[in-house]
Amino acid sequence: MWPKDRALSPVGDRAMIQQLALKALAARRFILKLGFEQKIRLHYGATMSIVEILTLLYHRWMTIDPSRPSWQERDRFVLSKGHAAPALYAVLSSAGFFPESEFDNFRRIGSRLQGHPDRNKTPGVDCSTGSLGQGLPVACGMALCSKIDEAPYKVYACIGDGECNEGSIWEAALIASNLGLDRLIVLLDRNKKSSYGVMKGRNDVETMADKWRAFNWAVFECDGHDYVSLSSSLCGAETTRGRPSVILCNTVKGKGIPLAENTPVRSNFYLEPERYREALESLDKTENEMRHDRQD
Amino acid sequence: MIGKTEDLSAAFGRALLELGRVNERVVVLDSDIADSCQTEAFRNAFPNRSFDLGVAEQSLPTFAAGLALCGKIPICNSFGVFSATRGFDMIRQSVCYNRANVKIVAHAAGQSMGYTGPSHHTVEDISAIRALPYMAILSPCDGVEVTQVVRAMAEHEGPVYLRLARVSVPHLHGDDYRFRMGKLDRLAEGSDVTLFATGDLVHLALEARSVLADQGVRARVVNVPCLKPLEREEVAAQGADTLGAVTIEDHNVLGGLGSIISEIYSGSICKPVLRVGIPDVFTESDDCEKLRKKVGISIDSIENCVHLIVERTQQNAGRTAARKEGAGQQQRACGERTNEGF
Repeated sequence: MWPKDRALSPVGDRAMIQQLALKALAARRFILKLGFEQKIRLHYGATMSIVEILTLLYHRWMTIDPSRPSWQERDRFVLSKGHAAPALYAVLSSAGFFPESEFDNFRRIGSRLQGHPDRNKTPGVDCSTGSLGQGLPVACGMALCSKIDEAPYKVYACIGDGECNEGSIWEAALIASNLGLDRLIVLLDRNKKSSYGVMKGRNDVETMADKWRAFNWAVFECDGHDYVSLSSSLCGAETTRGRPSVILCNTVKGKGIPLAENTPVRSNFYLEPERYREALESLDKTENEMRHDRQD
Repeated sequence: MIGKTEDLSAAFGRALLELGRVNERVVVLDSDIADSCQTEAFRNAFPNRSFDLGVAEQSLPTFAAGLALCGKIPICNSFGVFSATRGFDMIRQSVCYNRANVKIVAHAAGQSMGYTGPSHHTVEDISAIRALPYMAILSPCDGVEVTQVVRAMAEHEGPVYLRLARVSVPHLHGDDYRFRMGKLDRLAEGSDVTLFATGDLVHLALEARSVLADQGVRARVVNVPCLKPLEREEVAAQGADTLGAVTIEDHNVLGGLGSIISEIYSGSICKPVLRVGIPDVFTESDDCEKLRKKVGISIDSIENCVHLIVERTQQNAGRTAARKEGAGQQQRACGERTNEGF
C-alpha cells in the first residue's frame, strides 16, 4: 500500500514539482513541434489537457520499469480517450520506454507509434484504444484480475468527459462498483468540451460528481494541471477500500495553445504557423514565470 | 456411429467445469443467464473465478480483454446474438486488436431459440466475426466435439468464438475423437458431391446422404467444426475430387460457411458450390425445425442442390464433348481448306 505522504507538498516538494512542471512543458513543446513539423492534424485539445496527469503518473506515481514494459507486477495505465495518444507517447518516451527517434515515422507505415495507442506495437502501452468508451471497461477487467490474484498492481484509466456520452462508460461504472474494484482509479479529464466544442447545452454530462456518487464510486476533485492537487486526490483514491475511485480532474482543453484555450475550436486541427509561434511564446512565458518564482 | 443423445449446452457446462479443474487461469463471465448458458456448475465450483456482470453484454468482451491482458483466460457467455453483434465493436477493438486471449461463447446460436423470434436468432454472427483478424471460430456438432473444442479453445493462444446451438443431438464421435484447430472432419465417404456442414446440421447432412444413396448418388459428408482458420489445402483435400459442394448451415448464406467454401472453391478448385442456409431475410418465431424447413434448410433442399450439381456437370460434360467434337470438325475443315491450298 502506498503511504499517505506520497501527496506532494507545495513547500517541501517544491523542487520536485518544478521538475515535473518542466517535463510537462517539454512534452507540450514536443507535441506542438510534432504536429507542426509533420503537418498533421492532431487532437491538440484533448492531448494538451492531460499532460500534467500523465507526467505525474509516469514520472512520479506509478510503479513501472521502462526497461521491462511487460513486467507482470507493474501498475497499468489505460488511455481510454485514445485520441490523446501524442501526450501518452511524449510522456512514455521521456520516461524511457522508447527513444525520440521513433517519432520520425509517427503515424506512418511500419511505425511503432500508431494514430491511436496500440499495445502490440508501442512499448509501455498497456491497452490498445481508440474506440471511445472501451478503455474503462478493459481497465475494469485488469483491476478485477489484480483483485482475483491479490496482486500488488493498481490500474489507472484516463477517460474524457466527452467520452462519458458513451453508454459503455456507465455500464462499466455500474459493474466496477458491484465488483468492488478498489484497485481501479479513473482520472476523468473534465475539460467540458468534446470534439465538436462546448458540451454545455448540447451533450452535457454534468453534474459529474453526482453521477459517479450515484454509481457508488468514491469521488475526488482536483485541478488537473496542479501536481499538489492531483497527488492529493490520488492519495485519497488509493486509500479507498471496497469501491472504485474517480478523480474529476478540472482541466483546460488545449492547455498551452492560447487559441484552443480561449475559443471553442474543435479538438482536432492543423496548427497554423502563427498559432504555433503563439503557443511556443506562451509556453516560454510560463517557463520564465516558473523559473522566476523559483529564484524568489 | 451413433451414440447417446446429448444437449450441446449441457456438454458445454460439463466441459467448462472440467476445464476449470485443470486450468486455474480460466475465469467465467456471465450476463445474467448463467442458467441458460449452463455455467452454474462452474460458478458453484469456482465462485472466485466466476463473475456475473449482469445484463451488460457489451461489457463482456471489454472486461474479458482486461482480464486476458493480465494473464487470465476469460470465457464470456451470452446468447449468440448478443455475444457476437451487441458487442461487435468491443470484440473488434478491445479483443482482436489487442490480441487478447478472450473466449466468446455464443449460446443458442442459429435459429435454435425458435419461439423467441428473430431478435434472439443468431444468424449473421459468422459473417461478422470471421472478418476480424486473429479470431478463430469453432462450431461443434455433438457433445463429444463440444468437450474437445472447449479444451482446444483454452489451449489456443488468442481470441476464439465458439458457436453452440441449443439442441440435443446424438453423438457422432467416439471418445477417441480428437478435434484439431483448422482441420475438417470427414464423417462419411462419397465420390459424387461433398456436403460441408457445420454445427448440429451435420446430422441433417448425414440424413440427406442416406436419402441420396437410395437414389444412387454418393454424397460425402464433411463436418466443419473449425470455420476459421481454414486453409485452402484442407478444403481441397476434402472436396476437390468430387463434382461440387453443397454447404449447410443455420446462418445467413451471406458470409457464413457457404461463403467460406465458395471463396476457396472460386479461387482454385473451380467447381460449383451451392449454399443451403437462411436467405437474406429476418427469421420469425416458431419451432426451430419448422423455421429451418421454411427457409430451406432441409433434406429436400440438399437433395435438390446435389442433383443440380450432378445434372449440370453432366450437361457441361456433354457440352464439352460437343465443343471438342465441334472443334475437331472445325480443325478438319480448316485442314481441308488449308490442304486445298497445297
